[in-house]
Amino acid sequence: MKRLLDSDLELVVESNFIYLPLLFDLEIEKEIQTIFRPGKQIENSVQPDLKTIIKLKEKYFIKALNLYSLLENYEVINAYDYKRLRNDCLLKYQLTGEVDGIFLDETLRIILFQVMPHFIRKNRGLIRKKLSDEEIMDLINKKINIPGKYHKNAETFQDVEPLRKILESLENQTHSFKPPENGILTGRKLRDWVHDAVQVNVLKGEHLRIAKALKTRKQFSQAKPEHIATLLYIADTRALEIDGFGFTRNNSYKGEYFVYKRTKEYVLKDYYARSYLFPECRVAVSTYSPYKPFVIEKYKHPFLLGHKTGQEICMKDFVPPNEFKAENVIRTLEEGLTAMRYGYNGRKRNGYHSLDKMWVHIPTIDFEDYRI
Amino acid sequence: MTDTEVKKTLEIDEAEKLLPLVLEIIPGHAAEGLIDIYEPGSYEGKSLRKLCDRTLNKKNLSIEEQLIVEDVNRQLKGGKFLSRGQEIEGTALEYAVSEQTEAGEKYLYVPIRAIKPQEGGIRTDD
Repeated sequence: MKRLLDSDLELVVESNFIYLPLLFDLEIEKEIQTIFRPGKQIENSVQPDLKTIIKLKEKYFIKALNLYSLLENYEVINAYDYKRLRNDCLLKYQLTGEVDGIFLDETLRIILFQVMPHFIRKNRGLIRKKLSDEEIMDLINKKINIPGKYHKNAETFQDVEPLRKILESLENQTHSFKPPENGILTGRKLRDWVHDAVQVNVLKGEHLRIAKALKTRKQFSQAKPEHIATLLYIADTRALEIDGFGFTRNNSYKGEYFVYKRTKEYVLKDYYARSYLFPECRVAVSTYSPYKPFVIEKYKHPFLLGHKTGQEICMKDFVPPNEFKAENVIRTLEEGLTAMRYGYNGRKRNGYHSLDKMWVHIPTIDFEDYRI
Repeated sequence: MTDTEVKKTLEIDEAEKLLPLVLEIIPGHAAEGLIDIYEPGSYEGKSLRKLCDRTLNKKNLSIEEQLIVEDVNRQLKGGKFLSRGQEIEGTALEYAVSEQTEAGEKYLYVPIRAIKPQEGGIRTDD
């Protein structure tokens, strides 16, 4: 089918049916001669007005597919092409899955407007004041260089008129497509028509989403375009980092994040007061339970069991919170950071491993390479 | 200066000792803390801990500043003041670094963190 639609082959459309050219073959030629003898045309028993074979410009065409059947089944006939067309169509109106959701994502709002302000520098000089959501968005814009394409997308996003028109026509059932006119056309022309029709169908299928998106966009139509661009950037990347604080998508659970804070380099001392320089790592907590602090990178530390990624930090008297709230995220991150940077006591050798080598039979993690 | 520099490598020349002192007490791992300014002559000879106590007991704080003080006090329940990676002792000058405002005015800056200890790990040898 794809080859047919990508070709310059001449086809005929007649009463919503596609007619393909008949092969030039002697046997077929004979049969056609018989059929086209006066009064001998094959009648279609289901739709008598439709001929099985038609002759146009001295060429014969045979009835093949119903145009609407092709459209309805295009997703199965050419899954790749359908997906591409669908994505293009949704992108054109900034209707991709994540985009509108991000504006109503309560988890993200908590991270951006309640957790992040605790960990990033907001004020200049001596004054300490709480920033409004809008001021936080301004601050993010100052600190993050948002690529130009998101500013363009923001314009599309805030222009509600095209969506309003689509919705209106969908509701009035006027948003439709006309079948191609009867007659000869090339495979490519038919393909263009199919593509347009598929996109109209996509929009029809997204009726509910369009209505929802329009509502959200009207709500944000007065927002600063640069704020919209930032949110579109986040919707796309699902990650952001400012001043060592950041969040990134949790790939295991849709709509969930890992919120993290970098430790910077730090020094721990062993039993003999010798110093060990630890590299920076990201202490994180998931927005999906369990809300326990862990280290994102492959890392070793007396409070981590092994030397690998995603290890939980072993902490004393720490009861993980049981719900996702800004203050719980802040407290958990703080406890994790404090444990990593200040929790090890060289004299007590607390933790799974001690910094200085002990004469034990069980091999443990070695920290000699961190000695300074 | 990074937190990893444990030693007091802060050298302030004699002229800089006459600068105002800006103290910032930061709760836990927050980015910002409570700021206080001590004019030259008002902080020399006083221990840094005393200056911290005085700053935390200041009156007429804004609501935001009061919240920071609450947070600092919460951290200090069983916690301690740390500056430049170690527990504070001695005078402010031992921890101060010289900085300057955008307008070019110089001052001495001491960041102090109030950290509630989190003793990690399951095994203790004591």
